[in-house]
Amino acid sequence: MTIPKTPAPAPTPAYRPGTTPGDTHSSRAVLGAGAPRTRRTGRTLPFGDERHLTAHRWLVDEAYLLDAQEYEEWLTLLTDDIHYVMPVRVTTALGAGFDTAPGMAHFDEDKYSLSRRVARFLTEHAWTEDPPSRLRHHLTNVRTFATDDPDHIVVESGVLLYRSRGDVREAAQVSAGREDLLRRDAEGWRLARRTILVDDSVIRMQNLAVFL
Amino acid sequence: MDDHADVFEDVRRGMIPAHIYNDQEIFELEKERLFSRAWMFVAHESEIPQPGDYVVRRVLDDSFIVARDEQGSVHAHFNMCLHRGMQVCRAEMGNASHFRCPYHGWSYRNDGRIVGLPFHQDAYGGEAGFRRKGQRLLPAPRLDSYNGLVFVSMDPEAPALRDYLGDFTFYLDYYTRQSPSGIELRGPQRWRVKANWKIGAENFAGDMYHTPQTHTSVVEIGLFREPKAEKRKDGCTYWAGRGGGTTYKLPPGSLEERLRYVGYPDEMIERMKRSWSAEQLRVVGQDGFMISAASAFPNLSLVHNWPRVADSEAVLPFISLRQWQPVGRDETEVLSWFAVDAEAPEEFKKLSYKAYLMCFGSTGMFEQDDVENWVSLTNTAAGSMARRLRLNSRMGILADDTEVVPALTPEQFAGPGTARTGYGEYNQRAMLNEWADHLAAPARSATATHVGGPVPEPSRDPNTVVNGA
Repeated sequence: MTIPKTPAPAPTPAYRPGTTPGDTHSSRAVLGAGAPRTRRTGRTLPFGDERHLTAHRWLVDEAYLLDAQEYEEWLTLLTDDIHYVMPVRVTTALGAGFDTAPGMAHFDEDKYSLSRRVARFLTEHAWTEDPPSRLRHHLTNVRTFATDDPDHIVVESGVLLYRSRGDVREAAQVSAGREDLLRRDAEGWRLARRTILVDDSVIRMQNLAVFL
Repeated sequence: MDDHADVFEDVRRGMIPAHIYNDQEIFELEKERLFSRAWMFVAHESEIPQPGDYVVRRVLDDSFIVARDEQGSVHAHFNMCLHRGMQVCRAEMGNASHFRCPYHGWSYRNDGRIVGLPFHQDAYGGEAGFRRKGQRLLPAPRLDSYNGLVFVSMDPEAPALRDYLGDFTFYLDYYTRQSPSGIELRGPQRWRVKANWKIGAENFAGDMYHTPQTHTSVVEIGLFREPKAEKRKDGCTYWAGRGGGTTYKLPPGSLEERLRYVGYPDEMIERMKRSWSAEQLRVVGQDGFMISAASAFPNLSLVHNWPRVADSEAVLPFISLRQWQPVGRDETEVLSWFAVDAEAPEEFKKLSYKAYLMCFGSTGMFEQDDVENWVSLTNTAAGSMARRLRLNSRMGILADDTEVVPALTPEQFAGPGTARTGYGEYNQRAMLNEWADHLAAPARSATATHVGGPVPEPSRDPNTVVNGA
């Protein structure tokens, strides 16, 4: 039993799998058109490099804010043009040329949508985090790269988020790699772009009412 | 296994034995008698638009390759090699003309036909030992589609999909046929929740009562202007065929004004006017109801909402489809897709997608609070105390079963089925009555397929299919 071909030719969707050389997950994202485009240059910076130390410290401080759910303060660390994107990972054949779902993401956020998420946690009716989860962002594999602009650095990291709720269910975990673009302005370094590549195709967490 | 007749009797009275949301025997019965019969959504044709495109989707424990062949027809084949039973395709999406089993190299075209059988002559003595001709991967017992939504059923005797869905197709069109091109589906986001699959299906089918409480926060932050308590009870719930859903009451105005109110641009409204029937247009334009959440029995749900996606008064509508895929008695994989009219302007598609991400799916702000409740409910239903509790699901009817609010008349509501305004659990009861009907009916024995070899004498009955014979 088959479903015969429809009389009208199938439309070609705007989002097809595959990659164009030079594309990034951020630039390919549905809402990534306005995202900062600055890219890394060269090899990793030495661990003793001032820029690496700056980036690493920034990430550790940020992880503290996310664990403590101090989201208002976290928002101040984001640039106004931030693109915060977490593609949906899919299992594809070796050589398929893609491993994310075309035209779909878990997060594809700008400052406004992130600010609404934070605002929601500040109401007294965000039940999913009342009682709050016990959170720990374990941060590792930090690699820092220079860019063509001294006011921008790119930093990669691995993050394992441990999230424990209540006393019945096992804690949930999400493992992901991140690539961040940090930008320096008058007030210091802020996050201008974050790409989160989660290591699961099926998330083993009841929701992503968290940030990675 | 006991026949649970008392459970079904309670359910039909609108009194729900709480343990059905976390009970291994009930889950086994659901597998044997419900998921073995009902039509199950697996994919939308827009997910596999080109020849060779495929997605791999499960129906509980069974994996199916849903593929478009070189001629453009869509197939669903059981993802198991006919030789040693290895999973033939281990990716979840892609494009392929053939699938080759990694174990011994048997290969199949994307229409399921076997094309490669290594050493056929040496190993089997050719066709005399193993009839290769006409062999194909085991097709889903039934395959059918509506508006490009592809469903399979495990029951060869299942009614036609349209007959199964019945008048629910009237409402399905609002979500999936806003223009002659229908929808394009993107995703799914997939995640697992420790909740029983029925809870989400019931919630989307008719739970307008939870909106003012569960979703308070999204109104407080200005994301959604509608779900105030008084607004929700002005909407109606409807049940038709094998599905039902909720609506919002729209402010007074013409059809065009009402569709603009939820954020549709004029060019999309013009296409809706050409795609929907006079009755479908009347429900919106004259009766003033706009579809919101819905479920088709057993586990496909839909949602249509219109949040603010930027710091302005403008709202943007979005559509999502989701499947509550049972993993176990207390665990469900949620597959959540974003759907948008294929002919919508590109800018609309982007903003509608943004609206979806903010509201529903793995990160959606509505969804986050729903799931927290459903996980808690499932936990609490596991123990012995839950077996002593019959939950009252009789909202909307009095002790003698008369209705608190009469059903809307055809003059008030042009859609098929039964619709009522006010708070009620009519749809949850309809859903669970359907569930009880399925679980109370003994399952038929399934046919066996004998791959390319001799069939033992006792099996020569009408229930046996000899593949390739």
